[in-house]
Amino acid sequence: MTENDQLKQDLDYIATAVRRRDRPAGVPAIFFLWAAIIAVGFPLVDFGQHLPRIFGAYWLVAGFGGGALSWWLGERDARRSGINDRELGRRYGLHWGIGGLAYLLTMLPLLLERVPPRQGGAGFLFTTGLLYALAGVHLERSLLWAGLLMLAAYALLTAFALPYTWTIAGVVIAVALAWAGLAARRARTQGGRA
Amino acid sequence: MKQAFTGFDPAFEHRARLAIAVLLARHGEVSFAGFKQQLDLTDGNLGAQLRRLEDEGYVELRRDFVERKPVTWYRLTAQGNDALKRHLAALQQLIGAG
Repeated sequence: MTENDQLKQDLDYIATAVRRRDRPAGVPAIFFLWAAIIAVGFPLVDFGQHLPRIFGAYWLVAGFGGGALSWWLGERDARRSGINDRELGRRYGLHWGIGGLAYLLTMLPLLLERVPPRQGGAGFLFTTGLLYALAGVHLERSLLWAGLLMLAAYALLTAFALPYTWTIAGVVIAVALAWAGLAARRARTQGGRA
Repeated sequence: MKQAFTGFDPAFEHRARLAIAVLLARHGEVSFAGFKQQLDLTDGNLGAQLRRLEDEGYVELRRDFVERKPVTWYRLTAQGNDALKRHLAALQQLIGAG
């Protein structure tokens, strides 16, 4: 074997090792957690009109608690997988931090009463779809299709002015997240703990 | 041929050691188990390669517990980072010349 062949083999070996972690598959438990939180929380607007306090309290606890639990699950997963990538952690933090800001801005027309509460669900579906599709491009590929599904559902919801927008939005997001969780779990089983 | 170029570091001439350094430069901190999974090496071989880099002063380690099990984390030192950059520049030069 020539020195060039040896060098090529060595570089192939290194490239393969690096690519194994190129696109992390994500933490399935986080997807399932948010699928459950949203599946319960969104329909509260359509069906819990007599219980606005419960809706507010639910999202106060589930929003902050879910965020903290997601952070803990991500941290635990990184420690278990044996790769503590702070740069990647910063990217995740920035993406979901901007996502939190986007949710607040999506809520703004509702808070200012420019949009009837019943129609606000579609806006959240759009924001969530965009956030997940972009996360699929930049962070975890399994989120791309879930994001695109949400955007397609947003288009249908808006075009046909369907009733129960919050419930439909919640169900679509929950199904998309559960799908992403299953895809992440399958990717991990196939490629080790990616 | 390699000797004709400056910057090659004998510590990185073994592909496993170069891969360890590249993974550390990319991810920050990697545990022994993390390397095992990424590099498909035996415990003995991986331990020997990591020790060599540690002896050179290119990596430093931190001991921790994950779910009550001891875990050793490795990271590249500033000296290791500089040496890796020099070595990769020399490799580029070699590939460019080929």
